[in-house]
Formats: sequence, structure tokens, C-alpha cells
Amino acid sequence: MATSIATPEVTDTQGMNYLVSLPRRLVTVWLPLTVFLIVLLFPFYWMVITTFKPNEELLSREGNPFWVKNPTLDHIKKLLFDTAYPDWLWNTVLVSVTSTFLSIACSVLAAYAIERLRFRGSRYVGMSIFLAYLVPPSILFIPLATMVYKLNLFDTRLALILTYPTFLIPFCTWLLMGYFKSIPLELEECALIDGANRWQILVRIILPLAVPGLISAGIFAFTLSWNEFIYALTFISSSEVKTVPVGVVTELVEGDVYHWGSLMAGALFGSLPVAILYSFFVEYYVSGLTGAVKE
Amino acid sequence: MTALLARIQNDRNALGLLFLLPTAVLLLLFLTYPLGLGTWLGFTDTKIGRGGEWIGLENYAFLWGDEVTRLALFNTLFYTVVASIIKFGLGLWLALLLNKHLPFKAFLRAIVLLPFIVPTALSAIAFWWIYDSQFSIISWALQRMGLIDGYIDFLGQPWAARFSTIAANIWRGVPFVAITLLAGLQTIAPSYYEAASLDGASPLQQFRYVTLPLLTPIIAVVMTFSVLFTFTDFQLIYVLTRGGPLNATHLMATLSFQRAIPGGSLGEGAAIATAMVPFLLAAILVSYFGLQRRAWQQGAKDT
Repeated sequence: MATSIATPEVTDTQGMNYLVSLPRRLVTVWLPLTVFLIVLLFPFYWMVITTFKPNEELLSREGNPFWVKNPTLDHIKKLLFDTAYPDWLWNTVLVSVTSTFLSIACSVLAAYAIERLRFRGSRYVGMSIFLAYLVPPSILFIPLATMVYKLNLFDTRLALILTYPTFLIPFCTWLLMGYFKSIPLELEECALIDGANRWQILVRIILPLAVPGLISAGIFAFTLSWNEFIYALTFISSSEVKTVPVGVVTELVEGDVYHWGSLMAGALFGSLPVAILYSFFVEYYVSGLTGAVKE
Repeated sequence: MTALLARIQNDRNALGLLFLLPTAVLLLLFLTYPLGLGTWLGFTDTKIGRGGEWIGLENYAFLWGDEVTRLALFNTLFYTVVASIIKFGLGLWLALLLNKHLPFKAFLRAIVLLPFIVPTALSAIAFWWIYDSQFSIISWALQRMGLIDGYIDFLGQPWAARFSTIAANIWRGVPFVAITLLAGLQTIAPSYYEAASLDGASPLQQFRYVTLPLLTPIIAVVMTFSVLFTFTDFQLIYVLTRGGPLNATHLMATLSFQRAIPGGSLGEGAAIATAMVPFLLAAILVSYFGLQRRAWQQGAKDT
């Protein structure tokens, strides 16, 4: 899977490990690793436990807090029926999927143009795309907010669909350029000699060969837009248009009374879709992450 | 018409521009233009609902004398430096552990990356609950172990809040550093280590003289990204503390949001955001020189 740009895996991974005795290995490798895993996973465990804990157990310091005695579905029921949570989920899916497809379509064309058409100035365009990748949303949201307002896009999903590509396209283009580079030029030359035009080459030869790259870019773009916060917080004000992260943070907290159960349920169900998608495509995600850093 | 089409298809410059058009339109309109607009806004007194007048450096002069802004700059630098150093240390350690020959290696790697892929705003909510002043599980556990008497007010005291937010940031950032450095470690051939151990190098010496030099280029890139993410962090602080208590955790990004959107002073907020740019440029230059060294190590010509 995705070996074309993945790290040249060293086959001899065993190395000299046979020199290290088992007890020593337990202390130097497994002990710290277990601690790392417990710390990294604890917040997720805590989300799940809190979601199913009844309020009496949540707000008591007695007993064992690490387990639930009387699991309840009340928090989930409250979340689904008393709040706009289903709307937020739908908005997040809609915005993430649309902006991902828009960005991938633009990035494929741009990456092919920069990497393969090699038009005049393509190197500089490639460089500036890389620089665009480094511009953080936290310095763009104020001017973008004034633009969104002037364009009458304030409080619409379209505002998010149009602004998310600003951080998705640079990343996807950069990633796809790496993939396209690994496809032999000879294939393209053969097709040109056979009379194919550039569009046919892109659709029939390059894209089928770059499927792993497309999946990497797609997964990455989807999780990035699912996780986006500052634009959605700034450009949206009505509850029914909010995305999950913004909705949970701004609407589930009422005054000083924290409904921890519903809050954690909201966080859990907002995290699960990306986590599940990620679990199916881990290899692609990791190769995208490491590929982007190493290019 | 067909003649024109044919010409475009055979002219790589024309075709290149055509393919680049959608990307160029989106990026110029929603990235380059706002970047310029933001800089311009920083020199105006624009408020929400009211166009601004050019006031030169007045915003910057005001911010320079503003206690809260100075505190936010200090907080941002403190947050970035402390979190980045610890993320690097722990990330490298975790990468080295994962690089040992382990069963379920792919599975472990997949699990480790989870904190990085889950929406930060949502995991921050989990931390908010973990840091709760009355029902914190950490306080509960520490009290049971007899280490503390009363519950810790994690987010209510300035320094406790700084370190609590840094800890949450580290939790989210370590997987990124670890997994990318692991990819770098895997490119180092075991034969180097065999050669080094035949020469009598201890594991520590092998790390110092084989692993570290070969890993330096990728460390430079990874840490630049890590610093960029940390320096411009917004979500975690916004969810956990909104900058409080007493502005002790305000970062440049959260302060710029607070002044611009709820506060309505777009000009002032934009000035704070623009003030972050020199720091980002410095980080990018570091990355650039890191990459140069990498190219040189791979046998590229000196330029």
C-alpha cells in the first residue's frame, strides 16, 4: 500500500535486537511504551466512560471513578433530541466532503501542471504553493471575515466550503506533486506518441496510477476540514449552520452548569467518524503525513 | 474554435495556465488577497460595521504599550518554547521505542497517532473535564495516593493554567513528532549500527554519532512545523481557558480573536495577527536551512 513514496522500509528490522536480553527489554522498551500509550489514550477512555455515567456518579468523589456502575444513555438522548447536534454533524459532513472534493480536483490539475507540463515559471509556482501551505489560519481569519461579510456569505456553509481550500489545496498539491513525480515519464511519452492529448493522459494514465496518492490527500483533507475550528467559529453564528467542534464548544455549555455527560458524548461522536475513517486508511494517512514532511 | 483548442493542447504554457486556473483563483482570492488585506487592516482603525481610516502605526504603538499584549507575547513564546522542547524530547523517545522490533508495530503506530487526528477542540473538551477544579480525575488519583491535600485548581491559577494548557498541547503534538521522526529513523540502514557496534560504540554513542546526525535534517523540518502549529495555536486555549485567568494563557492568536471578533476592533486584531508574521518567517528560514543541509547530505552540489 502506498509504497511508491513511502519510506524505503528497511527489511532487516530485527537488527541487533537479539543482543538485548528480555528483562532489560521489558524495562527499557515495554515499560515506557505502556506509559506513553496510557497517557495518549486516557482522554479517549475518559470521554467514553463519562458519556455513559449517570450524573450522580459523575458528581461524586466516592467509589471508583474509572468504571461505570449504572450505565445510562440519557446523555446521548439529550444530545440527539434536545440539541442541534444532528444538524451540526450533517453540516460537518457536508462541508468536509465538498471542500475535500473541490480541493482534490483543483490540486490534481495544479500538481499535474507544475510537475509534468513544466510550463514557464512552474518552479516558482511550486515554491509559492509550498509557502501558501505555511500560512496559518490564525492570521487570515480577520481579513477573511470582512471578505465573507462583504460577499454576503456570512453564516452560510458556502463560506466554509470556499475558505477551507486555502489550507487544503496547498497541502494536497504538494503531496500529489510527490506522487506524480514517481510515475515514469516514459508512460506519458508512449501515450503522446499514440495520439493521446494531455487531458486523456491525466485521466487514463496518471490518475489510475496515483490512486494511493489521491486517497492520502483525500483522507488528509477530510480530517483537516473536519477538525477546522477558527473559520467556523468566526464565520458562523446560527446554531443550525454550525459544525460539530464549534457547536459543542459554544452551545453545549449553559452558564455555569456543565453537562459533562452530554459534552463528552458530543466530543466522542464528533471524534468517532474521523477515527473510524482513519482506521481504515492508516497507511495512506501516515504516508501522506511523512511524505509531506519529507518532500 | 477547434484550431484554438488544438493550439492550447499543444502549448504547454497555455495548458499549464489553464490547469492552474482553479487553484490560482481560489488561492489568490482567499489567501493572497486576505494576507494583504490583513496587513492593511492593521494600519487602520476598522471596527465591525464601520470602515476604517488609515492611522499608520497607531495600532502597533498602542499594542506595544498594552500590558495584555505584552503578556500575550510572553505567553506565546513561553508556550511555544516549553511545549516544543518537551514535544521534541518525548516525540524522539517514542519514535525510538517504536523503531525497536515490536509485535503489532503497525497497530501501535496507528493508535499513537489518534490524538493528532481527532478534532483538537473536542479533545480539548475532554481535557477541560480532566482539569475540572472539583471533579478532576488527576486530583482524585493524587489525593488517593496521598500526594496532595486539596483538589488542584488546574485552570484557575495563572501558572497552573499555563502548564496545564502546555500539557494538553504536548499530548496532541507528541504523536506528530514521533510518527514523522519514526519515518526518518526507518530510513537509517541497520548496517550503520552494526558497523558502529563492531567499532565498540555503546548504544548511547551509536545514538549520538549515527542516529542524530542522520536524523538532523528531518528533525529540522518536523520541529519547524511543530513550532508553527504551536505558535499559532488557537483552539486549545479558546476551549480550555479563553485566555484566562487574568490573561495568563492568552496567546497572540486568541488575543487577536478576542479583540477583533467579540471586541469588534478588526484593525487592532489584524495588527496583533500581523505581528506574528516575523516569528513565522524566522521559523520558516530555519526549516529552509535544515532542508539545505539535507540536500547537501544527499550529495547535491553546494550552491
